Amino acid sequence: MPRQTIVIDPVTRIEGHSKISLHLDEEGHVEEAYFHVTQFRGFEKFCEGRPYYEMPSLMARICGICPVSHLIASAKACDAILAVRIPENAVRLRKVLNLAQILQSHALSFFYLSVPDLLLGMDSDPAARNVFGVMEANPAMAKDGVRLRQFGQQIIEWLAGKRIHPAWVVPGGVSSPLTAENRDRILAGIPEALANATRALDWFKNEMEGFREEIRSFANFPTLFMGLVGEDGGLEHYSGKLRFLDAGGHVVADYADTTYPDYLAEIAHPWSYLKTSFYKPLGYPDGVYRVGPLARLNIIDGISTPRASQEWAEFRELDRGAVLSSFYYHYARLIEMVYALEKIEQLLREPDALDANVRAHASVNNTEGIGVSEAPRGTLMHHYKVDGDGLITWANLIIATGHNNAAMNRGVLQVARHFVHGNKLTEGMLNRVEAVIRTFDPCLSCSTHADGRLALEVELRSHEGELLDVCHTR
Amino acid sequence: MPHTLIIGYGNALRGDDGAGYMVAELLRERIQDPEIEILSQQQLVPELMEAISHAAHVIFIDASVSGRAGKVTRIVLRPAPACAHFTHHATPEALLAGAQSLYGHTPEATLYTIPGRFFETGEELSPSVRRAVNELVATLEKELAAGER
Repeated sequence: MPRQTIVIDPVTRIEGHSKISLHLDEEGHVEEAYFHVTQFRGFEKFCEGRPYYEMPSLMARICGICPVSHLIASAKACDAILAVRIPENAVRLRKVLNLAQILQSHALSFFYLSVPDLLLGMDSDPAARNVFGVMEANPAMAKDGVRLRQFGQQIIEWLAGKRIHPAWVVPGGVSSPLTAENRDRILAGIPEALANATRALDWFKNEMEGFREEIRSFANFPTLFMGLVGEDGGLEHYSGKLRFLDAGGHVVADYADTTYPDYLAEIAHPWSYLKTSFYKPLGYPDGVYRVGPLARLNIIDGISTPRASQEWAEFRELDRGAVLSSFYYHYARLIEMVYALEKIEQLLREPDALDANVRAHASVNNTEGIGVSEAPRGTLMHHYKVDGDGLITWANLIIATGHNNAAMNRGVLQVARHFVHGNKLTEGMLNRVEAVIRTFDPCLSCSTHADGRLALEVELRSHEGELLDVCHTR
Repeated sequence: MPHTLIIGYGNALRGDDGAGYMVAELLRERIQDPEIEILSQQQLVPELMEAISHAAHVIFIDASVSGRAGKVTRIVLRPAPACAHFTHHATPEALLAGAQSLYGHTPEATLYTIPGRFFETGEELSPSVRRAVNELVATLEKELAAGER
């Protein structure tokens, strides 16, 4: 049998456009696998020459799903250019906004993109394997998902004026304080949302037993994990130190987040527009690490909210060291939804939550600024250099999906070797190859700063490179 | 007067694709009626199903790449199940079906389509589409004021 290549193009139910190619050896076993990101936009280049204060609004245009994450990381980089310490209540309100963003994005990822596989089955009819199929099979769960996403977006709108591309987060803080009316509206919605999220979490924990093969094969291997932790080592999404943890669960190092160039490096591959980052001291590929919900729950020493803390303790019992299977990204995402709701309530019940002092004013005091925060999919870094007039001369963005790129590629290879054999392809096999990517919830618009459509194509190639077959999934 | 929901959608940064969005924005400036809710959206998303289920009548307004630029068409919509791509993007028919399936009610629904000519990057509408937007705004404003919806 000649060597062949199977290409899955486009990968469906992710944010953006990509394809997967699987290279088979003479015996029909998967020899190599690549996750290709096939779109490019280049925000880092075209923001050059623009004033720094435009960056939060401009960078938020990278993505319609997580504009708030870019707003926050970008504004933090601009705070550093101003060299200001922003008011305490501005930090509090930015944290609430970031958690609302995480809530709505996790709800989208879990309920709309992944529950179709988890509820209906990896091998179920692909025509019905979507959120509409979920509505028919389990309307209560679909309603919970819709409600949670709606609530996250509603919080963003109440705080920032609109759901997509709000301009409320500005260099130096936020543009206006929270009103008592909007605080009370948010607090009134928390109990129902918390009930929805815990119901989904309980459901997932009951269903996990049915996914043993996926747990075993979905990017289940040792890597480092990276993310922000608070000064006390607790779960933190806005600011703190960057922690690296090894697969055995040992802390490798804690770093200041603003010194990332000292310990992170990026490489480009010829098959993808998505860059790959790695931990410099270990080099590539030994320095491959993962970020996002799974990483965050692995690296921390604790969680400051009651229900999420209990759930985290149970989650950590899955493995002796770090929890390694990327299938558990779903689990971690659900725990983070519970945490986000509990934490929002804690923050808004603090006595100064309505304080009107929410913005510091200054002009350019530094010619370089780095902003780091935790986006739904993982650590987000915005790094700008400006001239004396505050015009951007250079920018670099490292996005969660880039941090995860090497692990995603390795995960595709692992799951393909497990489920794909020879030239006999089934839709269920290919869906599992896609599903391992979905566990990471990659946002390709963010990672290449590009726009695109959801789709997937698989190519089958001989070892001479001849195209033997193409399969499109819908 | 029963609750009417107007949803204008499209990408206002891609030329004529923003025609439906623009109609909703203009109607919101002109109509101050608690029984009429107006939403301008980049795209249709499943979260709209609940709001749709509460309405007696829903009016969707969208742009189209086919048809003569600026020639508005109006059709009555029926609920229809979604295709496999239904994720964070949806069709009006799928949202109507979802409203029925999840919330037990789907309203009467109308879709106005405004064919466009230029869909490249930019906030400007082409002249024929701009005229169509203004005419549709005036027509809907008049009909809604007369309670014809």
